[in-house]
Amino acid sequence: MTDAPTQLTVVVADDDEDIRSLIVIAVRKAKLTLLADLPEGVAALAAIREHKPDIVLLDVNMPGLTGLEVASAIRAEPELASSLVFILSASVDDTAVAAGFAAGADAYMTKPFSPNTLAAQLTALIASSAAGPNAGLPVPPAP
Amino acid sequence: MNPFSALFRRFVFIDNPSPIVKQLPTTLAFLGAIIIVAAVPDVSVTNSSAAVAGVLGMAFATLLAVAFTASTPLTRLALILPFIDLLAIGLFRVGTGGTQSLFGGLIILPVVWIANQPERRYIVLAGLGTALALSMPFTFGGALLQGPSDWLRFTITPIVFSVAAAIINEMSRQAAGRVRSINELAEERDVMLRGAVDYAERLSDNEDRLRAADRLTRSVLDAVTEQSVIGADVTGLIDVWNPGAEKMLGLRAAQTQGRRYMHEFHVEQELLARSAELNYPPGETVLNPGFSALVETARLGKAEVRQWTYVRADGSTLTVEVAVTRRVDDQGSTVGYIFVATDVTQALEVSRLKDEFVGLISHELRTPLSSILGYLELMRDDEENPLSEEQVQYLGVAERNAHRLLRLVGDLLFTAQVGSSTFSLDTTVLEIGPIVRASVESASLNAAAAGVELSVNVPDSTISVLGDAQRLGQACDNLISNAIKFTPRGGRVSVDVAVVDSRVVLTFTDTGMGIPEDELDQLFARFFRASTATRAAVPGVGLGLSITKAIIVAHHGELDVESEVGVGTAFIVRLPLNAPVAV
Repeated sequence: MTDAPTQLTVVVADDDEDIRSLIVIAVRKAKLTLLADLPEGVAALAAIREHKPDIVLLDVNMPGLTGLEVASAIRAEPELASSLVFILSASVDDTAVAAGFAAGADAYMTKPFSPNTLAAQLTALIASSAAGPNAGLPVPPAP
Repeated sequence: MNPFSALFRRFVFIDNPSPIVKQLPTTLAFLGAIIIVAAVPDVSVTNSSAAVAGVLGMAFATLLAVAFTASTPLTRLALILPFIDLLAIGLFRVGTGGTQSLFGGLIILPVVWIANQPERRYIVLAGLGTALALSMPFTFGGALLQGPSDWLRFTITPIVFSVAAAIINEMSRQAAGRVRSINELAEERDVMLRGAVDYAERLSDNEDRLRAADRLTRSVLDAVTEQSVIGADVTGLIDVWNPGAEKMLGLRAAQTQGRRYMHEFHVEQELLARSAELNYPPGETVLNPGFSALVETARLGKAEVRQWTYVRADGSTLTVEVAVTRRVDDQGSTVGYIFVATDVTQALEVSRLKDEFVGLISHELRTPLSSILGYLELMRDDEENPLSEEQVQYLGVAERNAHRLLRLVGDLLFTAQVGSSTFSLDTTVLEIGPIVRASVESASLNAAAAGVELSVNVPDSTISVLGDAQRLGQACDNLISNAIKFTPRGGRVSVDVAVVDSRVVLTFTDTGMGIPEDELDQLFARFFRASTATRAAVPGVGLGLSITKAIIVAHHGELDVESEVGVGTAFIVRLPLNAPVAV
């Protein structure tokens, strides 16, 4: 599924098709350009390497490579240094959140999420990234 | 007592002979006198009437003696017999020569009898009796006092007999005293003997009971094969080691009793950590290194169940729950300790797997809930295809239930985190008042819908605690939500905040259905639901209070409950105050 290209591009990876569709809707609401939405980690990493998107939205538990492994791989490749990594996970405990940031995530959101809130968070992430490398996003509390 | 002995005692009776035994010498002597009178030519009867009267008197006395012996109540009258004897002898003397009779000496026999009585007055009676018998030739025989020799015989002889009676009386008294002493000693000996026999019997009974108790204790200890029961003296030296201990730790009783110390089967680091908890100075050993740490609570007379790690003989370890109790002697002094340990390694693993499973399930449930809630939100916000009012209402029901499911999943996940000790707090100094007010405010709509009056009473002063605002808010939400759920329409729920004894006290009171007293101690267990709640079909799964308790305990606080069925319930939260109350 691809949209007409805009300035900022996104690759989405989540093994749950319904959630993936929900994320795509949120991406559209945030006026971003979706380059690819994929159900597993290996294909997602390949798409990221190919497209070098501005934002990568990753689920944690995926077949192939987990979201954390994909995030680590992105951070290990200088060519992908500018890509922002946004992790979406059903894990709400502090350890899981810490693991997400340790893997290189720029933002972390727990499921279930509101599509409107995700869109707002994506917009805020872009704004914060534009403001400077040290400006981070607060992690929204688990519902 | 055998019949011969009884007969002997009845008639002879060493210390108190029967009347016939006392009478018999006199009767026999009298018979001798009769034979002498009949057989010796020079000895003749001078007054046949008096002689016959004397013989009859003696016969009468002898018959009375037989009667008195046969009839116990009459025995005490036996003392008249020697006086009858004296009369009979006196008459016989009158009949066989009067003052010249050969048989005056017979008088000594009844005199001995009389003098043998315990009181001294019988000496006088013996003298009078003698005088009576000696005077009879003059009073009944017609003899006359013919000279100084008769006067002397008449006066001196009774005196001599009286002196003899006095001597006999004294000897008799002394003999009676000795007999009494002997009897008393014999009685004492009998009492002591009976006491000794009783004591021996009791001792034997006690030994039997002790042996039975020992067998029972041993059989109970031997029957406990899945728990180790180890006894140690006050120094920790092992003196009891049951088969359960043998199975658990891999050593036989003979290898440990009197040879090994209790703390040798513990992990040293755990003992040191416990010593630090008890504020023992580093390196200090009260009795033996580590042993004090094991028994400190029990030493103070309190029961303690604590998780420890046992080290087996082969060096492997196992997690055990050990109950330590004190052994005391008859005076209540501590003589040792008993350690009853249950292997909880498997139980802990099961619990861990259960928590892991619950965590996994709750995690997996969040994903479909994401879809449900997300798409419901999209439907509600779709401006191009707005929903009808009825559709919005249906959507609201779906959303409300999806959120309810999400809360349940959150509770399950939190419970699993508490169980696996991965639950953490984001602690800051915070004001408790706003947290309580926020919880009350968020519950006010529910309270109004349920027809329950909800009030809050928070002091104006700043009350600070050290805690996690989100978790404390969750605890308050749970308690208020519970109170509303369990209070019928028209009831009241109040939340009061106060500072008591440097602690923040939050009281959540309702006028609801109450909780039966016998269920109060299970109230904070996971998945427990009060019978009143299930009967009234109040929705819930029984996690809210266990979560609330875990949150409060994690804040070093306490959660108590007071309840009366049909009257209401009060949950009391006590938290450490962080700073003085600023008025």
